[in-house]
Amino acid sequence: MAQVRLEKVSKSYGKLETVHGIDLEIAHNEFVVLVGPSGCGKSTTLRMIAGLEEITGGTISIGDRVVNDLPPRARNISMVFQSYALYPHMTVRDNLGFGLKIANMPETEIKTRVDEAAEILGLGPYMDRLPANLSGGQRQRVAMGRAIVRNPDVFLFDEPLSNLDAKLRGQMRVEIKKLHQRVQTTVIYVTHDQVEAMTLADRIVIMRDGNIEQIGTPSEVFEHPVNVFVAGFIGSPPMNLLDASVTGDKAVLDDGVEVPLPAGCNVREGQQIVLGFRPESFAPKGHSLHGDAGALTLRRVVAIAEPLGTETILYVSLGGMDVQGKMLNPRVVHPGEELDFTLDLTRLHVFDKAFGRSVRA
Amino acid sequence: MATDVQVLQRPTLSEGITAFFRSPRAVPYLLLMPAMIVILAVVLVPLLVSFWTSFTSYNLTRPDTLYNFVGLRNYQRLLGNDEFWWAFGRTFLFVTITLNVEMMLGLGLALLVNKITYGQRALRTIMMFPMMFSPILVGFQFKYIFNDSIGLVNNALFDLGLITQPIPWLVDGTLANFSIMFAEVWMSTSIFAILLLAGLMALPKEPIEAAKVDGCNPWQVFRHITLPFLMPFVYIAMTIRSLDVARAYDMIRIMTNGGPAGRTELIWTLMTRTGYQNSQMGAANAMGYVSIILSIVFTFYFYRKLTAARTFMGGAQ
Amino acid sequence: MSRLSIEKPWQRWLIRFGVFVAMAILCVPGLWVVLTAFRPNIEVLARPAVWIPQNPTLDNFARLFGLSSAQQGLPVAQYFVNSLVISITSTLVAVVIGMAGGYAFARYRFKGKATLFLAFMLSRTVPGVALSLPLFIIWARLGIIDTSFGLIVVYMAINIPFTIWLTDGFFRQIPVDLSEAAQIDGCTPWQAFWRIEFPLARSGLASAAIFAFLTSWNEYALASQLTRTTASKTMPVGLMDFTAQFTVDWTGMSAMAVLIIIPALVLTFIVQKHLIAGLTFGGVK
Ligand SMILES: Nc1ncnc2c1ncn2[C@@H]1O[C@H](COP(=O)(O)OP(=O)(O)O)[C@@H](O)[C@H]1O
Ligand SMILES: [Mg+2]
Repeated sequence: MAQVRLEKVSKSYGKLETVHGIDLEIAHNEFVVLVGPSGCGKSTTLRMIAGLEEITGGTISIGDRVVNDLPPRARNISMVFQSYALYPHMTVRDNLGFGLKIANMPETEIKTRVDEAAEILGLGPYMDRLPANLSGGQRQRVAMGRAIVRNPDVFLFDEPLSNLDAKLRGQMRVEIKKLHQRVQTTVIYVTHDQVEAMTLADRIVIMRDGNIEQIGTPSEVFEHPVNVFVAGFIGSPPMNLLDASVTGDKAVLDDGVEVPLPAGCNVREGQQIVLGFRPESFAPKGHSLHGDAGALTLRRVVAIAEPLGTETILYVSLGGMDVQGKMLNPRVVHPGEELDFTLDLTRLHVFDKAFGRSVRA
Repeated sequence: MATDVQVLQRPTLSEGITAFFRSPRAVPYLLLMPAMIVILAVVLVPLLVSFWTSFTSYNLTRPDTLYNFVGLRNYQRLLGNDEFWWAFGRTFLFVTITLNVEMMLGLGLALLVNKITYGQRALRTIMMFPMMFSPILVGFQFKYIFNDSIGLVNNALFDLGLITQPIPWLVDGTLANFSIMFAEVWMSTSIFAILLLAGLMALPKEPIEAAKVDGCNPWQVFRHITLPFLMPFVYIAMTIRSLDVARAYDMIRIMTNGGPAGRTELIWTLMTRTGYQNSQMGAANAMGYVSIILSIVFTFYFYRKLTAARTFMGGAQ
Repeated sequence: MSRLSIEKPWQRWLIRFGVFVAMAILCVPGLWVVLTAFRPNIEVLARPAVWIPQNPTLDNFARLFGLSSAQQGLPVAQYFVNSLVISITSTLVAVVIGMAGGYAFARYRFKGKATLFLAFMLSRTVPGVALSLPLFIIWARLGIIDTSFGLIVVYMAINIPFTIWLTDGFFRQIPVDLSEAAQIDGCTPWQAFWRIEFPLARSGLASAAIFAFLTSWNEYALASQLTRTTASKTMPVGLMDFTAQFTVDWTGMSAMAVLIIIPALVLTFIVQKHLIAGLTFGGVK
């Protein structure tokens, strides 16, 4: 059983604090993804868990042990690096077996476990090659193989897919997911790619500037972002975010368009707010995801249309900004065409402008 | 307010030091400790001794003179000593001329070899020849080759019918200076050629192709693309070279030993003559200090250029 | 950038000619000395000059080692052994110490790093002749003048800065990730170094060792003052001894020159590729 617990964990380089006392609890077997823009402290956090960085403040425990002062080798973790960090002077087999050899495991058992890992990852044909003679995807598999042979309590991944091309990245995502189901271990996975986070995670931890902004399941952070940052970060194409002010039970956009606010919003008359809605909730009549009931209809001229096959992204002007709508079951749309759009009012997000926090009930 | 509650025991100095050496912060210092100790013992302490000696009238034949403090007298004498000034000026000229000639020839050679497609590796190997020659060997080799009666050069000129009288390469003052510079250039051009060739081979293609598309002629490409890219390599070579310009001493020691009649006397040969032959260690150490400063100035100058060029390259990539 | 510019045939021939001349200038002096080493003395002194050796002989080498009936010049065998012992020992120690230092510079941030690095480099600029004066005084007082030990210590000091420079460059080329991955795989930092980083830096260390060896093997200025007798004299000092004799023994000296150059030549060929890489990476990266 290896749950991981971070309490008020902080990290400073000299005087500069880069991780500001974060709290996080990860259950046994949970797949948790740390996501956030580059430089927000994800790697630093992961490396503190791994024992590769000293912890400036707070405590980290793995299982029942506080590991603050334990070296990496004593933490029973394994890690897949962004660069893979394969040992260039060792064959794939030796790379996989290195950790076991260091632990003085008998040769025969090393062989059994290495072969098993190779079997899972389909590395059989490459066992005697050097890393330099492998493709990117194969190297990635070796890195994962090296992590699983040791049967660790916790798996750490630091942007393991970012060096792969888009197609391979998609495949490996599925493999990692399968692997997790198969080996049943706690996983902490760092990425800056929110799509990766959404598809892999049991729970997502969204970080910014050394702080945790929100923790939740993929659907929680997608459906109920707690602030403007999370709202804009999760989802692709991103949520449309428009400035507005409160008049009665309506929000008035900068171009005068009035949008009825959902019931139970914690707002005052005249308050400056940010109104958010996903492209999925803004579509030409008859093409929206949840039907047109309870929707506001707006007639708009299409500025740009991006056909993507099963859907088309439409750019129109609203509230003085370009907003994106998503047209399902699309037909050919030409720029300049005027269409009736429906805005799904039940899926509106409302944030106060001053603090960016969600004010929806 | 709880200001007086904490009774902090200030650690003693030795406790502090022990704690430091147990902390991870000490690791790099511990790793560097042996190197520092050796340099301290073999370079720094002797330099201090030599600094002290340069203020005494120390004479090898009378050991007690080591404590005979004479202030700046050795330096004053140096300033008023024509022989020293000639040696100093000659050394400065020698270093400046040879470094520049080596750089130009090295660049030329690197450019030429870079144009050769077949056998480039073999050429590079040949270029390394002079690098592995001991300076004393180079000196011997040229002493032999420039010998007026049996030397290769004169023999060749005779057999080609170009001369009837032997040319006194090492006996005439001017020719002797030319000969030692030739030997020095022969010995060290390779370093420049090899490093610059490495630079040329690392040269990215795109900027050159872009410049050509933009209408640059070959000279402009060289001037504005190739040369700036090569500059860090030039400075590395310059730094490495100026690190041990003084190894020319070995070569000159065997070729002319400052002769004829002091016409190739450099500060290094003068120094050993003063120190060991005339036993005037105090005066010799004063010269030693001048030569050390000369070397450091050259090296430091190029090292600074190298660091600057390196950050420039880092920024450009 | 091999085939970027299109040369006309006459340009190509001009380039080849230039390269040929340059290579000839680099090769001929050394070859001439080698040829002389295998000539009898009469041939050297002959007028008109004899270009191709007519009577190749090994006599000069035999003479050096006292194997010939002719009068024996110098205890060259002893010099050769001294040179080997001094160069190899000082190289090994300098590489170990320099490697530790280079690793510290490559892997750690610490106070005074840049200054310390510069100080090491500047310590190398001190001319051997200038350093020999105080070393002569101190070594004499310590009683280690004219001992191999005395010279070994000095050569260590000369070689450490350059070894630091080279190994720093090589270690910086090895990603830190590898050592970290090894530590996660269960290694102590010490194990991680020896099992991962050391094997990867091996070629760099080899080239550093060659440089150190060549420096020690070829050094004259310090050796000429700090050695006095066959107990510690090295090959370059021995070569100089030849000229001190009344008649210059050109063939004998040439034979000795060949003995000095052979080990250097062999070593350099073995590691020439790493040699260049070491120099450039150390500087640019
Ligand atoms: N060794 C270091 N010294 C100083 N600052 C560092 C160091 N490593 C990382 N940082 C800083 O810490 C912050 C977080 O870095 P990191 O955890 O790598 O971000 P990311 O979320 O992209 O993985 C960055 O602003 C980075 O500049
Ligand atoms: Mg990162």
